[in-house]
Amino acid sequence: MKSNPVNQTSTQNVPISTRRKNIVANLAEYKYGILFALPWILGLIIFYAIPLFSSIYFSFTTYSILQPGEFIGLQNYKDLFHDTLFWKSVYNTVYFAIFFVPLSIIFGVALAMMLNMKVKGMAIYRTIFFLPTLVPHVALAVLWMWLLNPGFGLVNGLLNMIGIEGPAWLGSETWSKPSLILMSLWGIGQAVVIYLAGLGDIPEDYYDAADVDGANWFQKTIHITLPLLTPVIFFNLVMGIIGAFQQFTLPYTLTQGQGTPANSLTFYVMYLYDNGFKFFKMGYASAMAWILFIIIMALTAIVFITSKRWVHYQGK
Amino acid sequence: MDGTTKKHVSRSLAHIVLIVASFFFLIPFIWMVSTSLKPLDQVFTFPPEWIPKPVQWSNYIDAMNYIPFFTYLKNTVLITIFSTLGAVLSCPIVAYSFAKLKWPGRNILFIITIGVMMIPGQVTMIPLFLLFEKLGLVGTPYPLIIPAFFGIPFYIFLLRQFFMGLPDSLREAAKIDGAGEFRIYWQIMLPLAKPAVLAVGLFQFMASWTDFIGPLLYLTDSVQYTLSLGLQQFQSQKGSEWGLMMAVSTMMTVPVIILFFFLQKTFIKGITFSGIK
Amino acid sequence: MKKKGKFGFLTFVLLMSFSLIIAGCSSNSSSSEGKENDGKTTVTFWHSMTDVTGEAVDEVIKAFEEKHPDIKINAVYTANQGEGQNEKLLTAVSGGNPPDVAYFDRFEIGSWAAQGSLEDLTELAEASGVTKDMYYPFAWEEASYDGKLYGLPTSTDSRLVYFNVDHFEEVGLDPNNPPKTIAELEAAAEKLTIKEGSRFQRIGFIPWFGQGWLYGWGWAFGGEFFNPETNTATANDPKVVEALQWMADYAQKYDVEDIAGFTDSQGTGAMDPFLTGQLSMKVSGPWEVSAIKKFKPDLNYGVFPMPTPTGENHTTWSGGWSVVIPKGAKNKEAAWEFLKFFSGEEGQKIFSGISRDFSVIDSVNEELGYKEDPILKEFVEILPVSHHRPVMTQGSLYWNELASAVENATRGNGTPEELLTKVTDKVNKELNK
Repeated sequence: MKSNPVNQTSTQNVPISTRRKNIVANLAEYKYGILFALPWILGLIIFYAIPLFSSIYFSFTTYSILQPGEFIGLQNYKDLFHDTLFWKSVYNTVYFAIFFVPLSIIFGVALAMMLNMKVKGMAIYRTIFFLPTLVPHVALAVLWMWLLNPGFGLVNGLLNMIGIEGPAWLGSETWSKPSLILMSLWGIGQAVVIYLAGLGDIPEDYYDAADVDGANWFQKTIHITLPLLTPVIFFNLVMGIIGAFQQFTLPYTLTQGQGTPANSLTFYVMYLYDNGFKFFKMGYASAMAWILFIIIMALTAIVFITSKRWVHYQGK
Repeated sequence: MDGTTKKHVSRSLAHIVLIVASFFFLIPFIWMVSTSLKPLDQVFTFPPEWIPKPVQWSNYIDAMNYIPFFTYLKNTVLITIFSTLGAVLSCPIVAYSFAKLKWPGRNILFIITIGVMMIPGQVTMIPLFLLFEKLGLVGTPYPLIIPAFFGIPFYIFLLRQFFMGLPDSLREAAKIDGAGEFRIYWQIMLPLAKPAVLAVGLFQFMASWTDFIGPLLYLTDSVQYTLSLGLQQFQSQKGSEWGLMMAVSTMMTVPVIILFFFLQKTFIKGITFSGIK
Repeated sequence: MKKKGKFGFLTFVLLMSFSLIIAGCSSNSSSSEGKENDGKTTVTFWHSMTDVTGEAVDEVIKAFEEKHPDIKINAVYTANQGEGQNEKLLTAVSGGNPPDVAYFDRFEIGSWAAQGSLEDLTELAEASGVTKDMYYPFAWEEASYDGKLYGLPTSTDSRLVYFNVDHFEEVGLDPNNPPKTIAELEAAAEKLTIKEGSRFQRIGFIPWFGQGWLYGWGWAFGGEFFNPETNTATANDPKVVEALQWMADYAQKYDVEDIAGFTDSQGTGAMDPFLTGQLSMKVSGPWEVSAIKKFKPDLNYGVFPMPTPTGENHTTWSGGWSVVIPKGAKNKEAAWEFLKFFSGEEGQKIFSGISRDFSVIDSVNEELGYKEDPILKEFVEILPVSHHRPVMTQGSLYWNELASAVENATRGNGTPEELLTKVTDKVNKELNK
């Protein structure tokens, strides 16, 4: 809240009974605030506190799931520092996040705006864009491998028709991550739904007023739509970062856990998973998890801090 | 005159873009349905045949016999409905509290809420499992349902954003009228956040419907299994039964498509505050 | 008034939820009491078998229950078991509530035994007269760790090179005289390959495709991967390095990225390039036979052992499954009866007969006629000289690292010597912890 210059005289002039009422009112708000949040506070304590603290503890041990292991202090963290595959997985994940997150926001917002037009048949279009998110990962993985097959896949077939020789996509070290980014953009249906809900909350009145002032589509977008969408853009940005850094199921299914070609698709959580469930190094995996936490937290903090500049909440 | 032609041109342009984009977005779904109607040896032919010749409807019948389809369906429906109910009941009120009410520790708790999403589930999975074991809930579907009633951070964050977009003036006006906090929430704020709450319901429905690792860990009797577990049974050492698998996948997506189709009208419904000032 | 109504509704919902929870807790505690009904012992058996193999094990269970009327097998299909993905079994064992019997990838027995998570079966075996010489030597060895027995083998396989007879005849190669040496293999591959620009119409051979894991080639070249006496990995054994160098050279000659298009499929089923005629030779196991019958029955093919540099000492390696008793199982004796049956002659005959996976008992393979089938015969006859992957605590890590080394070597990211030394160091570091 903006700070008000303290004006002693004004407080002194407020009659005592009103002041007491204010304090009482504040206390009431505190009470309700905590009451309403109570289910989640309990949920945090029961379902999150124990697993989270356990995993921090595990990161300092040689816990293997089957054995409690021994306490080894920061050894896991030190070993990670020297683990080349760890750094490769960091690189792969960052690469993916840097390209995917901005693209998904740009395409997501653009798509949502188009789908928000009041035109007949829009319901069908919206359903179409949402469909890919419903296809099970196993099916998606196989489908894409088939589509991107350099020899007889549809994509290279189409490129061939316009005279371009397509790369080996999932078989190429350079093109495997871009292929994955492409495949992941398929799934922006969920984010688009959120943008649509956000667009739905923008009152028609504003647009009507702008029409009266003679604003065109572009001006309306820049001055009304985008600013009022910022709360959801903010949400999708934060969740996008979290999701991108935790990318697991699709590349794991695609490469059957191997991260081929040449570990170019070995993502952070994939390596974490292997350590925890395949190599009996859950302690090591826990250390990886908490390092990831710090990285994501740092990025999110930056987003939060800058959010005061660009996020506009209607309510305020 | 000029204005309307411009409008028509931009409209048609948007339509063209939409149609082209739709084509790309439809591909996975068309492939899935098309494969579900093919015999196994035609699944990966080149050039791709989008329309199966002949159309093998038997895949659907075979799939339903290959696994206890209706049992799995029933289980999936029950688990999904209850967990969705839980999410829709708990998350809005918690989110509202974060967005509109002031109380000590609120901001720190909110940061923690987002923070817990940053730890990959793979490392918290085991301690959580052990916790449920101590509670005697392993071997039941309850671990898949109960946590939803306590709130899920993703939706709490989402709904908080929505509530923050609602004007404080509404609350102040209601207070002057003498309304209590709960009434303000229930009768004024919550209805205004309907698009977001419905989105939450849809997402939780999808998440629970397709959840694999949860049922894998907590359901121990095949009588309790869900469809996502059943899907795995089509994969064997000698190669997957793609036709049958896609048949089940298609059947799994139909309810969600229907749900989405009907819900989406409420997403775009505009709201006006003109009556309130 | 209205306010009360809303509060009332909320309370109602909370109450409903609480009762759900309480109902759940109480009903579960009663069902987790021993599953003994009418004096029978119930043995829980977790497995991931589907399709034909699933039918086979069901028959084994039926026969077993007939022979042992006082034992009931509760078979539960468990997705993701074996080949390193054992989330459910891992959590169950760590929670102290494992199944009595688990269908287990034999390769993983060493690492689980080292963690103390499998029951030691040595004494039970001795008392029941189950001995090593009943099985192929590698099967028993792979199921043992540190001198003790931890599982009973139930199935196995081996690897040979499949080749397309029609392609051979087309380019003038004699299908009755397939390559015996590496040099002959390379020459054949060259003749069979048809490449237009950077697009392959047909590839003769891809050493690392299918079952072309480095283990196979390393052994073919005469190298060793593990020294059991010193408990150290020896991935940089000069012969293994030689094998990897050969693969890297091959990759360079044919341009690995152009090959990648063929190696990137989920590898099974009708999408397999060997079945589509785009690959002339491929290293694979006996299961390929039923796949070919299913997807391309008119394929004219044969098999030959993996070539070696000298043309002699042809060998292979075998994997397979087993049944184990996880630590903490409640019904050990009854579980052991099932293990004995499944792994014994009678159970093996039923299982292998339906699943068409090889038995671990040579006489059963003979009885089932595998030695008469011209193709399967080759797979069975090489079993006595087959290797098994090293029994060690870091089996999965070693496997992953070797696979990565092959990936990197074929793409020119480092020399085979460097890469394999890195693998050796990494694995040994973990072994010594």
